[in-house]
Amino acid sequence: MNRKLLGLVPFLIFIFLCVFLYQGLFGNPRELQTGRLGHTMPEFSLPDLMDSDKIWTADSLKGEVYLMNVWGTWCPTCIAELGYLTELRERGVKIIGLYYEQAYDPDFGDQFDINALRQDVNNMLSRAGNPYQFNILDLERTLALDLGVSGAPETFLVDKQGKILLHHTGDINERVWRTKFAAIYQELTQ
Amino acid sequence: MKYVIVLLLMMITAAAQATEDKYNFATAEREQTFRELTHELRCPKCQNQNIADSDAVVAKDLRDKVIALVNEGQSKQEVIDYMIDRYGYFVHYQPPVTPATIVLWVLPVAIIILGFGFIVFRQKRAAKKQDWNAADEQKLAELINQYQRQEREQ
Repeated sequence: MNRKLLGLVPFLIFIFLCVFLYQGLFGNPRELQTGRLGHTMPEFSLPDLMDSDKIWTADSLKGEVYLMNVWGTWCPTCIAELGYLTELRERGVKIIGLYYEQAYDPDFGDQFDINALRQDVNNMLSRAGNPYQFNILDLERTLALDLGVSGAPETFLVDKQGKILLHHTGDINERVWRTKFAAIYQELTQ
Repeated sequence: MKYVIVLLLMMITAAAQATEDKYNFATAEREQTFRELTHELRCPKCQNQNIADSDAVVAKDLRDKVIALVNEGQSKQEVIDYMIDRYGYFVHYQPPVTPATIVLWVLPVAIIILGFGFIVFRQKRAAKKQDWNAADEQKLAELINQYQRQEREQ
């Protein structure tokens, strides 16, 4: 009896290896990039996209549950998700945009035209839907780096105390919202 | 063909110089740290490129951040910790020992030990099984005799 059990050991190791390697092969490596989960929103001080005099900080965002959506008009997936995000806004979800400017490179001096960008953003939002309460302009991508953002679109779910509860890479659509966000969001806003 | 290779090599070295020349370091040691770090840190956007290799915006931002931190005098490990803090363990090519990755560290060693153990165990068992006695000896002698008789009769 004991010997029979011993004979099963290689088979069990084989099954274990199969499961382990299968996960490695078909798991989503992007799900692992969540270094900031459970931490509070990092300190920052960045201007509003539409009004350079208005400065947003981590403290000024506290007090409400919100989504922080990293996006840019240069990013097709971001534009594709604007429609669904607008739907979410209409259902009462507070969404803040973190505008991730890609073209700007501090090494090349300030050839950056903020008015052209504002015009571009306004055109885009009036065409595809405007889900944002306001947009924060992260020109040098410092907040994005502190948040562990690797591109756009990415979305964070932040609670009233400013704690980051979810970090989603990729667009938000009905399925993603239902499977990943809805339960946590509902619990937070009850 | 030779010329093509030479031309290619020239292009590669020119490109490498173009990227390296951009950065200034106070000491050669810091430059070395920077170079090591950009090869050890993985681009979070592109999976199988390090940040020295990648053209992604985020890879450039990470390079700039590494330069800034190294120029502040931070050690290699401090910079790695800074990046892991933000981008998770994914950003470093060397997996740390955690409950999730322990299998990567233990499995190869376990397989080698088990394999050797198995071989040794089998050999010992095979050695023990040889219990040669007088009866066997007699039987062998008979068989040899029989065989020799057959040889002679032919």
